[in-house]
Amino acid sequence: MKKIGFLFIFSLLIFACEKDDFCTEAITPNLVLRFYDNANQTEFKNAERLSVWADGKDTLADYTSVTLDSIAIPLDPLNTQTIYNFKINSVDGNLANNQIDQLTINYDIEEVYVSRSCGFKVIFNNVTVTSGTGWIQSFTPSSITTINNESSAHVQIFH
Amino acid sequence: MVLVSTSMYAQKPLENKAAEKDSIVYKTPYGLRLGVDISKPIKAMFDDTYKGFELVGDYRLTKNFYLAAEIGFEEETTKEDFTSSFSKGNYIRIGGNFNLYKNWLDMTNEIFFGFRYGFSTFDQTLNNYSINTGNSYFPTSIISSRTETGLNAHWTELILGIKVETLKNVYISASMSYKIMMSLKEPSNFKTLFAPGFNRVFLNKAGFGFNYTISYTIPFNKK
Repeated sequence: MKKIGFLFIFSLLIFACEKDDFCTEAITPNLVLRFYDNANQTEFKNAERLSVWADGKDTLADYTSVTLDSIAIPLDPLNTQTIYNFKINSVDGNLANNQIDQLTINYDIEEVYVSRSCGFKVIFNNVTVTSGTGWIQSFTPSSITTINNESSAHVQIFH
Repeated sequence: MVLVSTSMYAQKPLENKAAEKDSIVYKTPYGLRLGVDISKPIKAMFDDTYKGFELVGDYRLTKNFYLAAEIGFEEETTKEDFTSSFSKGNYIRIGGNFNLYKNWLDMTNEIFFGFRYGFSTFDQTLNNYSINTGNSYFPTSIISSRTETGLNAHWTELILGIKVETLKNVYISASMSYKIMMSLKEPSNFKTLFAPGFNRVFLNKAGFGFNYTISYTIPFNKK
């Protein structure tokens, strides 16, 4: 009986500890943008009928004609530059009223190993942001030391 | 009358035999037992990501204590969601087994409890990996193999197993082991996911092993 008990405890030990099969740690952060009112710079202001796409790519599925004051968009983890296009339409759904602007984000890539189940993530260092000449009137900051989490907005956009 | 006398007569030698039996000491062989782990080549036949070979040996010191050691070679390709890596190297485990089983007569079967110190040296290659971004908008796959040599691991093991003598001096043994990593030299910006002799390195530094061996005792003397 004692031996059976011992075997039972032994088998529990075997099946009890596969914690690292599920990725629960933070992975590659997205770039978080928050939209503010240019006239009253402490107030959030929705970007209306917003669509977002990187140069040469399809529109992001989560950001296709949506009205939001905050978005989180992926940066290209294998290149040091990502160019994003932002379309808004504050009037109606008509093509004629679309306004477009562009953000160019340059950065250095740092690969960081996380865990067995999460694999590698990338954190972005020495990030610089420049904008085109469209509906975005200003933004801050234009340089970020490192983007390694998504806990708050990285760039505030005034429009 | 005849019947009674024969039955009484018949009892006498039986009693004598029983008395003799008490004075016999059953001697069991002491010697070096050498063998091979057959679970590893069998695993390699069914799992093309694995190769392994292990020689096992023990030496009987006292009635119920054996000095024991294993020496082996293992390699494994570890495929995870975001990484594929390859470990290969050699290992040795040294320790002892206590037999907990009380044998009948001159049998030498065992239910044993063992302990080991394990050491392995190995190389690990990260074959390819992809960046975990949580989305598939940009390509994330990177194929750039990098190898780190001269890695090593030290660990301890607790073992529970059985040994059965199937033919004279030929033993079949099965055992399970629970391992605790003591120190591990990890590759830079990566992790040892499989250490030869230790198997999969779990998050809490634990590991598990299984052995199925066939071995032969070279008897030196009988005690």
